[in-house]
Amino acid sequence: MEELMRIEGLKMYFGGLKAIDGFDLSIYKGETLGIIGPNGAGKTTLFNAICGVYVPTAGKVIFEGKEVQGTPAHEMAKKGISRTFQISKPLSGLTIFDNVVAAAGVHEYTGIRSYFHKAHTKDVEDRAEEVIREVGLAEVANKKASDVSLGYLRRLEIARALITQPKLIMLDEPCAGLSNFAINEITQLILNLKEKGQSIVLIEHNLPITMKVCDRITVLSYGKKIAEGTPEEVRTDKQVIEAYLGEEDD
Amino acid sequence: MSSAYLYSILATAAIFTLLALSLNIITGYAGQAMMGIAAFFGIGAYTAAVITTNGGHFVLGLLAGMLMAGVCGAVLGVISLRLQADFLAITTIGINFVMVAVFNRLKITGGTLGLTVKKPVLFGVRMNNKYFFYMTVVLIIILCLLLVKMRRSWFGMALASINNDPGAARSFGINVNRYQILAFTIGSAVAGLAGGIYAHRMGFISATDFAFVVSIQVVSMVVIGGLGTLRGPIFGALLISSLPEILRFADDYRELVYGLLLVLMVRFMPQGLIGEDSPIWLLLTKIWRRFFPKKKTRADLIAESAKGGGH
Repeated sequence: MEELMRIEGLKMYFGGLKAIDGFDLSIYKGETLGIIGPNGAGKTTLFNAICGVYVPTAGKVIFEGKEVQGTPAHEMAKKGISRTFQISKPLSGLTIFDNVVAAAGVHEYTGIRSYFHKAHTKDVEDRAEEVIREVGLAEVANKKASDVSLGYLRRLEIARALITQPKLIMLDEPCAGLSNFAINEITQLILNLKEKGQSIVLIEHNLPITMKVCDRITVLSYGKKIAEGTPEEVRTDKQVIEAYLGEEDD
Repeated sequence: MSSAYLYSILATAAIFTLLALSLNIITGYAGQAMMGIAAFFGIGAYTAAVITTNGGHFVLGLLAGMLMAGVCGAVLGVISLRLQADFLAITTIGINFVMVAVFNRLKITGGTLGLTVKKPVLFGVRMNNKYFFYMTVVLIIILCLLLVKMRRSWFGMALASINNDPGAARSFGINVNRYQILAFTIGSAVAGLAGGIYAHRMGFISATDFAFVVSIQVVSMVVIGGLGTLRGPIFGALLISSLPEILRFADDYRELVYGLLLVLMVRFMPQGLIGEDSPIWLLLTKIWRRFFPKKKTRADLIAESAKGGGH
């Protein structure tokens, strides 16, 4: 399998707090990798350190053979690493359709020159429509993002990430706060992406879903990797059980 | 009402419309708090005045005023990167006060005595209020056309995204810092242009013309009209500029009225009188749609086809 991204000895410290403390990981093309761990394990911080929201304290992030750690978030999107947010960040004043169009401009935001290029071209609108239908946002396409429910906002996060045509899509708890019915729909959506060969990193609290969709799972606890392997291996790992349920008393 | 008097009111209204549109670029489109637009209005005014009193051409003065205000705006843009909403608002208030002090102290700005500016000659005619009015209206129209084009471009999309959520904007490739600085630069440059015209139309400027009260007046125009729309600031500027005429009887309490209006608007109608989603504007569009049905957008068509598809 071809390696898409490699993380070597990643550290993210905030003063004395070691949120990520020496983390290694390889992500391969076409795989779905799950990152799980108890609350506060550092999952979202790891995403932020990889995606350029934070500059890592130490370590390397190698994407397609090039070191990219510390590259600003907007450059990461252009390189083909697209992420969604655990807490949805819709452009509330814009319609769902325009939200997706805005993300379609990933390579168009070139500063003053972008003034001379129209956003709503036929090509962009066609692509936006395709993605909107794919993720199931069509019925609310003309609604303002402030007027739709959380389920749609979660899909919007995925739609905006998809339209940038990412080489790697990083989903931060796409099912957080959703009903079982909506969770099933999002799970199906992720499975569809997987089928198309999309490389995916998924942070998810819901273990059954992670087990169902992921090829491999990495378990994070207190900023360190405590286990890695197939869902089956991770499920039976003693350290993982301890991290989630606590140690057994003698 | 004599026509000279009418044109003097119209010229002032037009200049403030330009100023309101400049603030709208920074606060309305890019969503950055700016409570000191008068500082940049002043920088443009003094720069233009100094150029023309030293023998420079009026147009050169205006361009220099724009450039100077734009450069200062860019500096503020850089500062703004480290400041969030309320802190940015307070900082810009501070900058306004500092600039007034600077205008009062510098020799080149005439200190507390102010600066007398000769009426310029353009195309062989000595400019009076009438010409200043027409000239400013032409500039407003050009600016509006440029802004309409901006809103349809990726540039406009970037500003709208930053205004709504900078974090999301970064996630799809928008260099938030760069666009924020650009918004401050462009907005301040337009304010500087308005300042250059103002200085020459008045014939005399002093630091009090660019005091914090003026900034608040411009904020009132934009907020009362409707932040982030093109029509809002224009309407607001015309309304507030004509208030002194309407409120003749309450002349001494004018600032009180502005303040009260601003507070009431922000509390009860934050969208502005004719802003996006304001009740008045929704009603007007509803009536308008009766005669001219809305052309369906791509988004409408997608939504309709989905609902028709048995959802």
